[in-house]
Amino acid sequence: MILRTKDLGWSVRGKAIVSGVDLAINEGETLGLIGPNGSGKSTLLKLLGGIRQPTRGAVSLQGRDIASMPRRKVAQIIAFLEQQAETTEAITVRDAVELGRTPWLGPLQPWSPEDDRIVADALRDTDMTGFEKRQWATLSGGERQRAHLARSLAQRPEILLLDEPTNHLDIQHQLSILQLVSSLPVTAVIALHDLNQALSCDRVGVMAGGRLVALGKPEDVLSVERVTAVFGVRASIITDPADGTRLFRFHSPS
Amino acid sequence: MTVVAVHRPNVYASRLGRGALGFVVLLAAVVAGTCIGETPIPLTTVAQVLANKLLGAGYPLDPIDTGIIWNYRLPRAIVAACCGTGLAISGVVLQSLLRNALADPYLLGISAGASTGAVTVTIAGLGAGAVSMSLGAFIGALLAFLLVAGLAKAAGGGVSLQGTGQIVLAGIAGSQLFNALTSFIITKSANAEQARGIMFWLLGNLSGARWPDVWLAVPIALLGLLATIWYARALDAFAFGADQAAALGIPVRTTQVVLIGVTALVTAVMVSIVGSIGFVGLVIPHAARFLVGVRHGRLGPATAIIGAVFLIAADVLSRTIIPGQVLPIGVITALVGAPIFALILLRGRRTR
Repeated sequence: MILRTKDLGWSVRGKAIVSGVDLAINEGETLGLIGPNGSGKSTLLKLLGGIRQPTRGAVSLQGRDIASMPRRKVAQIIAFLEQQAETTEAITVRDAVELGRTPWLGPLQPWSPEDDRIVADALRDTDMTGFEKRQWATLSGGERQRAHLARSLAQRPEILLLDEPTNHLDIQHQLSILQLVSSLPVTAVIALHDLNQALSCDRVGVMAGGRLVALGKPEDVLSVERVTAVFGVRASIITDPADGTRLFRFHSPS
Repeated sequence: MTVVAVHRPNVYASRLGRGALGFVVLLAAVVAGTCIGETPIPLTTVAQVLANKLLGAGYPLDPIDTGIIWNYRLPRAIVAACCGTGLAISGVVLQSLLRNALADPYLLGISAGASTGAVTVTIAGLGAGAVSMSLGAFIGALLAFLLVAGLAKAAGGGVSLQGTGQIVLAGIAGSQLFNALTSFIITKSANAEQARGIMFWLLGNLSGARWPDVWLAVPIALLGLLATIWYARALDAFAFGADQAAALGIPVRTTQVVLIGVTALVTAVMVSIVGSIGFVGLVIPHAARFLVGVRHGRLGPATAIIGAVFLIAADVLSRTIIPGQVLPIGVITALVGAPIFALILLRGRRTR
């Protein structure tokens, strides 16, 4: 159990955004988090990464309370990629990706050839080689998303927490990023909007109203009835004749 | 696949080299600031005075020249350098932490708060001599920043990208409030003589700088510089906001408290020595970014050097531009700074 929460809750001005989440994440698995807007996915990810302090319960990372660990130690284990992290600084893609090495470098420790190699690998894995000198402001939404992911990879984390990493991406990069994440030897928790992408995770957690209402293998959790209950749409499951994969199709409720 | 491995053979040597270069530039600026004045003094005389004072060389010199150089111009140039460094570095730190290109100790009301604190101690006599002018300025600076930050946060701004306008607006409100308080205290408590002196000091004035000021300004400027160097990577990590800085292993709260504390201290000490000088903290960091890029490992030291050289030059100008009269240095920095400030605003609009 690499990451575990017990009765985890977070409220702001008396309103519970996340409550009563008991979640145990196994080493090496890819866990998809799904749920409608405002169901608490992003907040749960921030709590898991120790970015927010829980108002109830606790998160334990490799058996230790994450709140008691030094930030730097946590960042050597967990990389957290949030939605819409933007900057007005005139930084280049390479500057941004190099930031991923921050947890591994002391205040006065110089940059090493090993750091160069890790940054180059991260750029290659996210298909961003050749973009190093590009100014951040000139990138498209999808390119920014990939550069952020490259920064997270440069952290060389054991756990990746990704908040809708496929937003803004074209279909080719959506598939290649998800493929990359599941092929990496890391534990990954990914907030997703696309239920068909969630089907390919090892396990899926369903959030609704700040609670984790279901957790398990995708084929068990993602039933037509649950999708209807949680998302308020009608759904049907069809099978792709090419490879027998199950797919969701949605209809507006009427 | 091509690996973009930039070979960096001896990082420490190149760091040392850049440091030495910066020191030489700084030294040259201080010496130039000592030579140039209403009565120009030849470089050899300055060198001989320095040799006499520092090494006991014993050159026969006019005692008036010696006095002007050793007691007035040299400490003045050193204090100018320290103030330039301190204010410019405060600007870099605030701009990164608040993620706002317009942040600087003057605009955010920190300088105004420091002035109020200093005036409260000197004129109104608060603390009955137990509190020094610098400490009063420090408390004023910190109060002003807390007020401005609190107001910006309450107005929904804070440090998010969307709310960058709020902190500047709050800063303007804070500046006005503290400047009004300063005027109130002066009008109520100061006699005419004191009032004239204080008003001149408030606009920024280095003519009172002596050796005791040097012994205060140098360590504080060094403290500011060392803090920026030590926290360079942390400041870089704030590029994508406080949450991402935390995700990169930066203890956000501690870093903010330490760096804003240092900024307030540096600003307060400089204001207590020379009064409040605008635009240095705003303009110099942008000039330095233009020259060395946005990474704080280079940006911090570059800002420090450029700030020092800029303020020495501004001081020389303020002494020489009108024969027989000394302009407040704040007038010079504002004359240079205001147009550059306008440029930054226009550029900011285009990139948004």
